[in-house]
Amino acid sequence: MFHCGIADVKDISLEKAQKFIESHKCGAALFFIGTVRDHNNDKTVTGITYDSHDVLVKKSFEEIYNEAIKKLDLQHPVAYVEHAKGYVPLGGISIIIAVACKHRAQVYDFSRYIIEEIKKRTPIWKKEHYVGEEEIWLEGKPIEVKKVK
Amino acid sequence: MKIKVELFGVCRELSDQDFINLDFDNEILIKDLRDKMIEIVKEKFPSNDNYLEMVKKSAFSTNDEIVGDEFKIKDKQTVSIIPPIGGG
Repeated sequence: MFHCGIADVKDISLEKAQKFIESHKCGAALFFIGTVRDHNNDKTVTGITYDSHDVLVKKSFEEIYNEAIKKLDLQHPVAYVEHAKGYVPLGGISIIIAVACKHRAQVYDFSRYIIEEIKKRTPIWKKEHYVGEEEIWLEGKPIEVKKVK
Repeated sequence: MKIKVELFGVCRELSDQDFINLDFDNEILIKDLRDKMIEIVKEKFPSNDNYLEMVKKSAFSTNDEIVGDEFKIKDKQTVSIIPPIGGG
């Protein structure tokens, strides 16, 4: 069972994630929350604006979920992934990855796989806002393309 | 030939809109579009090497698929520029 989405920060909710992943088939659940921290590259950060290619992001989330359950051989897995779009202030949630599996070791592997793959291949961008300095788009990594047409 | 380029990330700085429309005399490939985008960045931000590098390293997508340098772009096609990514 899988839910994924792109949402305004005010609509990202741990409660929604928790409700979605509740399952009597699972004995373990794990919540990963990414938040905006107050420093980066020796600058004082006040917030981050996230931009995304929504269609490719959702497609990428679905691919990552399907790959993960195959690679990790998960039975009855549940995952809820939401990423923020737009301005997220200091301390605000940029991403929630909530997963549930049969056993505890699986939830750590499952969650870690999802976030690491998102970092490699999901088209999301960050513009950081600072105290007393001009905002900048962070450099990022060129998208990893497995198959190109 | 007319194409629409949807802008994301740092490339949003190239226009007040979410896209730019470009005109070409002949059929072009993705690699030609990248060259054109590089020209546009050089004109608009002549001293910003950071923007230039990000456009040079960009991928492109159309019809919700990433496409390679040899992909032929058709008249009136919409293409998205995908600069280096950094979510999470």
